[in-house]
Amino acid sequence: MANTTTPTMARSFLQVAATEEVAPPLRAVQIEGLVVLKIIKHCKELSPSLVTGQLLGLDVGSVLEVTNCFPFPIREEDEEIEAEGANYQLEMMRCLREVNVDNNTVGWYQSMLFGCFQTVELIETFMNYQENIKRCVCIIYDPSRANQGVLALKALKLSDSFMDLYRSNNFTGEKLREKNLSWVDIFEEIPIKVSNSALISAFMTELEDDTPVTQCDYDRLQLSTSPYLERNVEFLIECMDDLSIEQQKFQYYYRNLSRQQAQQQAWLQKRRSENMSRKAAGEEPLPEEDPSNPVFKPIPEPSRLDSFLITNQIANYCNQINGYVTDLKDRLISYPGFWAELQPIIFDEGLA
Amino acid sequence: MASRFWGQGDSESDEASDYEEDIEDEETGEPTAQTAENKYLRGTASDSDESDDQKRVVRSAKDKRFEEMSATVDQMKNAMKINDWVSLQESFDKMNKQLEKVMRVMESEKVPTLYIKALVMLEDFLNQALVNKEAKKKMSSSNAKALNAMKQKLKKNNKQYEDQINIYREHPESEEEPEADEEEDEDEESDLEFEEDPSKIAMSDEDDVKDQSEMEGGWEKMMSKKDKLMDKQFAKDPSEITWDIVNKKFKEVVAARGRRGTGRFEQVEQLTFLTKVAKTPAQKLEILFSVVSAQFDVNPGLSGHMPIHVWKNCVQNMLVILDILVQYPNIVVDDTVEPDENETQKGADHNGPIQIWGNLVAFLERMDIEFFKSLQCIDPHTREYIERLRDEPMFLVLAQNVQEYLERVGDLKAAAKVALRRVELIYYKPQEVYDAMRKLAEQTEDGGNGEEPKVEDSRGSSAFVNTPELVPRKPTFPENSRTVMDALVSLIYKSGDERTKARAMLCDIYHHALLDEFATSRDLLLMSHLQDNIQHMDISSQILFNRAMAQLGLCAFRAGLIIEAHGCLSELYSGGRVKELLAQGFSQSRYYEKTPEQERLERRRQMPYHMHINLELLESVHLSCAMLLEVPSMAANVLDDKRRVISKTFRRLLEVSERQTFTGPPENVRDHVMAATRSLRKGDFQKAFDVIESLDVWKLLRNRDGVLEMLKSKIKEEALRTYLFSYTSSYDSLGLDQLTKMFNLTAAETKVIVSKMMINDELQASWDQPTQCIVFHDLEHTRLQALAFQLTEKLSILAESNERAIEAKIGGGGLDLPQRRRDGQDFANHAASGGKWHENSSFTHGRQGSGRSGYGGGGGGRPQVLGQGYGYSKGASNLRAGGGYSGGSRYQDAPTRMVTLNKGARA
Repeated sequence: MANTTTPTMARSFLQVAATEEVAPPLRAVQIEGLVVLKIIKHCKELSPSLVTGQLLGLDVGSVLEVTNCFPFPIREEDEEIEAEGANYQLEMMRCLREVNVDNNTVGWYQSMLFGCFQTVELIETFMNYQENIKRCVCIIYDPSRANQGVLALKALKLSDSFMDLYRSNNFTGEKLREKNLSWVDIFEEIPIKVSNSALISAFMTELEDDTPVTQCDYDRLQLSTSPYLERNVEFLIECMDDLSIEQQKFQYYYRNLSRQQAQQQAWLQKRRSENMSRKAAGEEPLPEEDPSNPVFKPIPEPSRLDSFLITNQIANYCNQINGYVTDLKDRLISYPGFWAELQPIIFDEGLA
Repeated sequence: MASRFWGQGDSESDEASDYEEDIEDEETGEPTAQTAENKYLRGTASDSDESDDQKRVVRSAKDKRFEEMSATVDQMKNAMKINDWVSLQESFDKMNKQLEKVMRVMESEKVPTLYIKALVMLEDFLNQALVNKEAKKKMSSSNAKALNAMKQKLKKNNKQYEDQINIYREHPESEEEPEADEEEDEDEESDLEFEEDPSKIAMSDEDDVKDQSEMEGGWEKMMSKKDKLMDKQFAKDPSEITWDIVNKKFKEVVAARGRRGTGRFEQVEQLTFLTKVAKTPAQKLEILFSVVSAQFDVNPGLSGHMPIHVWKNCVQNMLVILDILVQYPNIVVDDTVEPDENETQKGADHNGPIQIWGNLVAFLERMDIEFFKSLQCIDPHTREYIERLRDEPMFLVLAQNVQEYLERVGDLKAAAKVALRRVELIYYKPQEVYDAMRKLAEQTEDGGNGEEPKVEDSRGSSAFVNTPELVPRKPTFPENSRTVMDALVSLIYKSGDERTKARAMLCDIYHHALLDEFATSRDLLLMSHLQDNIQHMDISSQILFNRAMAQLGLCAFRAGLIIEAHGCLSELYSGGRVKELLAQGFSQSRYYEKTPEQERLERRRQMPYHMHINLELLESVHLSCAMLLEVPSMAANVLDDKRRVISKTFRRLLEVSERQTFTGPPENVRDHVMAATRSLRKGDFQKAFDVIESLDVWKLLRNRDGVLEMLKSKIKEEALRTYLFSYTSSYDSLGLDQLTKMFNLTAAETKVIVSKMMINDELQASWDQPTQCIVFHDLEHTRLQALAFQLTEKLSILAESNERAIEAKIGGGGLDLPQRRRDGQDFANHAASGGKWHENSSFTHGRQGSGRSGYGGGGGGRPQVLGQGYGYSKGASNLRAGGGYSGGSRYQDAPTRMVTLNKGARA
């Protein structure tokens, strides 16, 4: 395929349309700077509550270009309002089309707090989108993480194998083993690339200050460590609880299963001895399977989806903690150096 | 005369056949008309006889009345013929009015025979009509109504003339005999006699009512009347009475037992009389057995108790039985073999064994139950109750004698049962009460000696078989109640059955606890494993168990073992149903209505008042213990106090009291303890103690001062601990003498307490010897650390359950999962945590009771699936418990085990 050789930027719309049938795997998400700013603004302004919005753009080969976005009004737990939301979305799209902006839906964005996004709802939304749009991503922005001076953007999509499995809605242990699907394979993270038009880049360079230090850098040097870690650990604890609950479900299931098997065995034994005696009496043996018997009614195996999601979240938290702590360590190590340099300045000022 | 009496049965059968004839008549041919005819014919015949009879005697003024009456009777006959109950009823009323006139004219007490005859006729006709259901259905409604009204009226009316009716029935045609008069007199006499006895009168009245309803009823009464004659008869010529006569009569009387209309008291009397005329000791014994069982029958209901005088009589009878048994050792009492008919004919000089049917133990147990019931029923605040209690030694003598007899005979199992009855009368008595009882027994002995033989004399004057009093009537109580208990209990342990043993054990525990022998009674409790299987025993035993636990708790408290006391008592208070658990009253539940059946059952289970454990004292002890344990624990775990709850009851009460906007001066036990708690939390031990001390239930304790002293020192200690827990963070160091002054403790005591806290990792500090200071180390965990610990705990639980899942997958039983899980959690705690965390968790688990390291060898037989980790945790918690509570460790697990067992779920 050409996508590896030709720079994605240069591909024209027609070209893409010509090669569409092949549908190469999604390699990257390219977001306009404007879109990023809009997302950040939206998420940050309404920070504690979670918000969502629509992503618009183009699907160009292995790259998904996100060129525009608009926020959804804050959803409330009310059907009417939800219907209004849908109307709003349609209306918005119509307006955008009229002014000739990209109005091709490529996904949605949402804010999250402390990285808890792996939920069943997310998957469901994803599946809904997937029905209409072949390629769709979800961009997640974490304002709490952003406070530490990081661009906390993440583009996600569901893995294909998971989607198949989800469609058949069959998360038994056997199927999972068959598909060789583990918890890691549910979500795929796609690298994000922020692009700006040359004009904007030039303008930005023009605007750029002389001072080498930005607000972001100051954020990065923040030394109050515990709140963030505490929150993460708390969430971890919650996850552990959830996981134990899941585990209990399984235990219960297995206990029931073994009990049922014992019952089945007993029943079979009985039936067999009965058959023996019937045979001896010259009668027709009874069938060894009796589907009407409640003993043979299969006990539904609890879905593993929840535990998979929880595991994902745990992994997420762990990564966050890991990353954060690594940063922290660097910070702490570099701190004495800073201090040594800053001290004379501060003292000088103090003396003056 | 005698022959007439003995021939009573025959006359009855005559009567019955007479009646049958009537019925036969009815069956043949057209029912109503013909019978009426018969009646009519018969009636007229006798009527004319009677009227002739009267005419001879009566003057013309009376004549008129009589004619009026006979006219009415004729009317009635006519009405009967056409089955017209309405007019019959009118005539009947008319006749009754006329009767009054006749009586006035005749100036005599006697009711004219004419009237009686009419009554009999009416009654017969009524019975016929009632029997004939079809005819009844055909009747018009007014007629049927009249029939029913008639039935009622006649019943009431006939009651008055019952005797005459009976006489008339017996001798329908004959004239009145002089004997009959005599009988009547006799009857009146006996009636008078009945009236003398108030308790009897009710009974006989009741009987009368019953008699009315049945034809048969009458003759029972006759018999009782003739009994008197029999007395005379026997008294006249004793030589004439043979064994056969007595036996026959005895059989007859016994056969009447339980039949409707048999006077229970009369039966007892008859039988008592027969004992006097019994020819052989064996016969006397047999009859005596019947007397006793007849006495038990006197009160038929389950709820009511046997009249007290009957009970006393019963005791005497039992003693006589024992006398006979002792006098004639060849007589064997057994209830398994049905003895030969004429076994009792064998005389006193018979050599071989004589078998008599009877069961001494059953009788004795029944007597005990009756005694118990009477105490349940009598109002405990009356004199009557005390009087009744005085009868206890009497019963104890009897029990003692029965037991001795049984031991002599070699029936140790039965003896054990009797011993248990004795134990159950003694176990709840402290030494003082026991002494009082002993003294009472000795005193009444002097007075009672004269009385008892008198009873015997008056009754036994004519007895053929004289039984000397061989069995001691005087109880022999050892000085010490413990001695009695020991002797009895060891007998029971040797030869009792399971339930008897268990009950005896519980009584023993109770008694030991009562005597302040905490260690002994605790060991008994643990050795017997009663806690494990008490759930499967009957309710009465469970109540006994609860009582024993309560007493054990009180004992532990008196001994200053706060944790143990709390362990014993907390369970009783966990459900808020103390009264019900101890069977000392009823507790109402808001959410759950009891059925009347349940209520009745519960009422039957109640303990008599004198056996009660004072609930207020119990509550004070329980709450004080809970306070002493909870207050420091709450101070130590401010952060997550929900987790380490020692006493839920206490916590709840505390919450309630804290919610109050205005707290008034304490009124009840709870208020007191809550007030004390508030002070104690502030470290104000003196005020806390004062409030607790002001409870006046402490006066119920034997060594009140000692206990209060103990309580005070405990409160000081806990106040110190609470203070240290709460305020260490405010100190860098703290002088020993400062603390000593603050809590009014000696330096040594303070040092001990503080050091113990340091060792237990409750206090992060160390001693600075030269300055006598406690230097605190700030080892406060940051929130992050705490969370991390929590996380590790969760993780280990998860890992553990994962392991178990694997285990289940690759084999291993599913049945003992819950148990292993419990251990597993411990394992998790121990394995995953260190330092303070570790300490706390093991502390909690020790206290809340995994029950795993209990007395019974720590569940030695369990498969150690988890290998090392599991073993380690067990060892650790044992060690901890052993170190913490000076020797109480074994014990400490046990009550908590009970807690878990009873709650069925673990936190």
